[in-house]
Amino acid sequence: MKAHIKFSAIAAVVLVLSLLLANCAPATEAPAPTQPPTQAPTQAPTQAPTQAPTQAPAKPAPEAIEIGASIPLTGKYGSLGVQVKAGYELAVQTINAAGGVYVKEFDKKIPIRLTIYDDESDPTKAVSKLESLNTEQKVVAYLGGAASDMHAATVPIAEKNKVPYCGVSFALWKIHQQGYKYLFSPFPKSPTQAEDTFKILNASIPEGQRPTKVAIFQETTDWGIELGGLWKENAAKYGYEIVDYETYAPRSENFSDMILRAKAAGAEALLAVPNQPDGIAMVKQMSEIGWTPKFMLLIRAPENPAWSEALGPLGDFVTIFPGWHYKMKWPGVEELVKKHQEAYGRPPDVLVGPAYACVEVVADAIQRAGTLDRDAIRDAMAATDLPMSMIGPIKFREDGTGIVLNPMVQWQKGQIEVVWPPEHKSADLAYPATPFDQR
Amino acid sequence: MSRRDIAFIISTLIAAAALAVVPTITTKESVINLLVLVYIYVMMASSWNIIGGIAGQVNLGHAAFFGLGSLVSRILWTKGWPLSISLILGALVPVAFALLIGAPSFKLRGVYFAIGTLAMAQILFITTRNLFPMISSLPTEALSTYSLAPRYYMALGMTLLTVLVVFWLSRSRWGLGMVAVREETSAAESLGVSALQHKLLALCLSALFAGLAGGVFAYYSAGYYLFFPFFPTWTFDAVMATYIGGTGTVIGPIIGAVFYVLVKEILALRFVELHPFIFGTLFILVVLFLPGGMIQIWSRLRRLLVRKSTLAPSAAKEEQVPETNMVHDRPAVE
Amino acid sequence: MVETLVQNIVFGLLLGALYGLAAVGLSLVFGVTKFLNVAHGELLMLGGYASFWLFNLYRVDPFLSLPLAALALVVVGVVLYLLLFSRTVKMDEEQKVQTTMLIGFGVSVILQNLAQRLWTADDRSITTAYSRMSWTLFDIRFPIVRVVSMVVALVLVIALHQFLQRSYFGKAIRATVEDWEEATIIGIDTHRVYLVAFIIGAALAGMAGTLVSVGYSIVPSMGLEWTLVCLVVMTLGGLGSIIGTFVGGLILGVAQALTAFAVGGAYRQVVGLLLFLLVLAVRPQGLFGVKEG
Repeated sequence: MKAHIKFSAIAAVVLVLSLLLANCAPATEAPAPTQPPTQAPTQAPTQAPTQAPTQAPAKPAPEAIEIGASIPLTGKYGSLGVQVKAGYELAVQTINAAGGVYVKEFDKKIPIRLTIYDDESDPTKAVSKLESLNTEQKVVAYLGGAASDMHAATVPIAEKNKVPYCGVSFALWKIHQQGYKYLFSPFPKSPTQAEDTFKILNASIPEGQRPTKVAIFQETTDWGIELGGLWKENAAKYGYEIVDYETYAPRSENFSDMILRAKAAGAEALLAVPNQPDGIAMVKQMSEIGWTPKFMLLIRAPENPAWSEALGPLGDFVTIFPGWHYKMKWPGVEELVKKHQEAYGRPPDVLVGPAYACVEVVADAIQRAGTLDRDAIRDAMAATDLPMSMIGPIKFREDGTGIVLNPMVQWQKGQIEVVWPPEHKSADLAYPATPFDQR
Repeated sequence: MSRRDIAFIISTLIAAAALAVVPTITTKESVINLLVLVYIYVMMASSWNIIGGIAGQVNLGHAAFFGLGSLVSRILWTKGWPLSISLILGALVPVAFALLIGAPSFKLRGVYFAIGTLAMAQILFITTRNLFPMISSLPTEALSTYSLAPRYYMALGMTLLTVLVVFWLSRSRWGLGMVAVREETSAAESLGVSALQHKLLALCLSALFAGLAGGVFAYYSAGYYLFFPFFPTWTFDAVMATYIGGTGTVIGPIIGAVFYVLVKEILALRFVELHPFIFGTLFILVVLFLPGGMIQIWSRLRRLLVRKSTLAPSAAKEEQVPETNMVHDRPAVE
Repeated sequence: MVETLVQNIVFGLLLGALYGLAAVGLSLVFGVTKFLNVAHGELLMLGGYASFWLFNLYRVDPFLSLPLAALALVVVGVVLYLLLFSRTVKMDEEQKVQTTMLIGFGVSVILQNLAQRLWTADDRSITTAYSRMSWTLFDIRFPIVRVVSMVVALVLVIALHQFLQRSYFGKAIRATVEDWEEATIIGIDTHRVYLVAFIIGAALAGMAGTLVSVGYSIVPSMGLEWTLVCLVVMTLGGLGSIIGTFVGGLILGVAQALTAFAVGGAYRQVVGLLLFLLVLAVRPQGLFGVKEG
């Protein structure tokens, strides 16, 4: 027995050491652990492909344009991260299938090499992954991860390393107000979302039937506070009254007290930005308590198919601002749906489109910059004027926020339908919501 | 001071000096960043080891000290206080907290102590999350002039300080008293060693260095949520690193922390999808087969050599050495 | 106002019953074996997924799949025990607590990742046709699934209590708790006792997971939170006391609900924990625990 244990111990140690050695030795090998095989043109080791190419014009073209992302593929934001990853990868695939991005300086098309790391939804890890993308791959641009609080942690790194950063899946506006120069986000932000909420309601519902008494369940996170405050600020302007304003910490299992107060206050609409478990718990408890708001906008929680799987008919009538949907009528969406269907066996989730557009923005900026110099790419990105992308036309404001469309979608009969804007509509806004106990 | 002690101090200083030149020979910031992370983990593991290893009180609230340290340092520093004062206060506030909770929590024994301290840390975590929900990021001007080198040296210096103090403690009367309290509380008390005093001192020192680690984290980070350092995983990471290396020893937590960070990092870069599996399995293997931690490899190897070179009796004698006991781990220090 | 308060307390009690059931498993295992299995929350998660998939793929009602979730967890429990935890049986108590805690850390990392690989990081929840139904009594709502869940939890806890008090095996378990060396001498196979206690604990976690997936939602990363709740509840009620632990869960649930009512949702967990510390300070052996030696 003793000998056995001893042997195992030694074996374990040997295993550990050999793992360490195996990993240390080939440090220069192409790392890109999650590259789809189609995108990397060759597997040969690259020699620092993207050094500032301003000096020698005779410099040979690098074999790939290095772009990197740290994405929460596992952990609490994993369900968002995998959507973003799919979008990035499909976009890179498409671009590389056409030979890559034309870079004037080298007078040729160069394929993109995308390196993706998993940060496990841990901001510290995301930071260290971005640092290693900067020094190991020498990326010319970062693509963002997912979720506002992850972005909030990674954006300063891009700023510090002076690497242009294009990210979606976060509506946090405040982060754009700190004077960051390298941050770009073609995604609807809180101020737009707050105003659009009431604008869309007023445009879709005749006066007299509107849910003018509003309850807000505000999550105590920076985005929750920001959007909650903006809703409160804008309501009166459009003829709405906040009758109940509740705050809660993320991952509270019991929402009954909030629901009861909102019900008692006679609220007809519910606005919130719950994470998925909280969103599910809220809806379940609303149905049990017997309070059905006529209109529900729950951003974030219902953003993937698990919502209707988890809630069935209870999940219907809920609306979201997802930034994109595959039923929208932009050119190219159909193609993307087909590819996503082939690769994953279902139509693309809502973040796939914006993520795809991010890569389009970066590729477009590189092409216009005509060089792989990061500052030149940054300047080109700021001047972006894409007439068409996966999410429609894209321009950026001074603060890096995108001037993009902010569609509203709604769960109807277990499907997501686009209900706003009218030219992309796949269904009308279903209003008022059928009471939970009659579904 | 024995020759062994001097050898330890000299080799520590040499190692620190060697690490100090790293920023001058590599331009890879990721290497520097990784090393900073290693230093923070060494500080966390070494400081946890004071209360958890040497004094034998499994404190699962270590993240509270780390969190308080980083909270205080960060707020003061970003408000424009001098960095040094911010860091010092960031280390002292956790000590004050330790003094506050020390006496009542030491009434709890074993598992109760562990869970009680965990609950305390959770209270601080939730409260901080409620009070400071916004990210704390450096202003743009600070970011554009952000330099890694001073942060690196700060982390290295603090780590060196931590290690040397733990070393001093382990050789001091106080440290021996802590071990005595851990091993046989009542016997120690009958010899006039105050258990409470020793445990309190251990907790305060532990809080001090965890708070310093928090300060280093606050100074190092470009942007983070102030409640993030309170997250219980910081405690669990420190505990795991300490046990991987070897509890109650000076060098064990250092080895453990280095191993912990490097292996996790390398696995994460190599096996993006599978790394937690591999790490979890490795960790369990170490726990089961090297209960004294990795420093046991050394004593096992030595025993193996001794057995080979001499005859059985001396090997049999070695067999009885309790490997986790700090008094006996000195060979590992060489 | 009063209605809201009472309704709140009802919801708190119903949630507390789940806390209690989840913690009873941990408490039993700890009481008997002194294993501090910090992967208990992950076992709960696995049970939740077992029921979720049975419902999702084969439309098996979650309350009918309870025994299946328990069975699945028995298998997991046997594997974990034989492969890992059994190696610590001979250690002295302190060392055992520490070693099993560390093994638990490793196991939770592995299980969480496994769940993520197999079932993605999405939140899952079971919503049956009767999920939206509630009984109403004096304007207070009693959601059917939660009430049934509470009844199930209660039945399981009482059954466990009876099993420990009455059956031969239960007596063997209790004898082992008192003094395992003595128990060995009188012919009780402690290994088997440990194994049985461990798999009962796992099965209870699994069934608690099912109930969580019906009333709330499950996700691969849920383990840590539930383990923390279980640890607090277990200590609150008194280590190793089955009924006490369950009552501890109810108390925590109500305390949280009252806090949410009084000072808002953001601090509901804080007051529960403060209460816990207070109890520890006054009665270190827990509310219903027996003072050791």
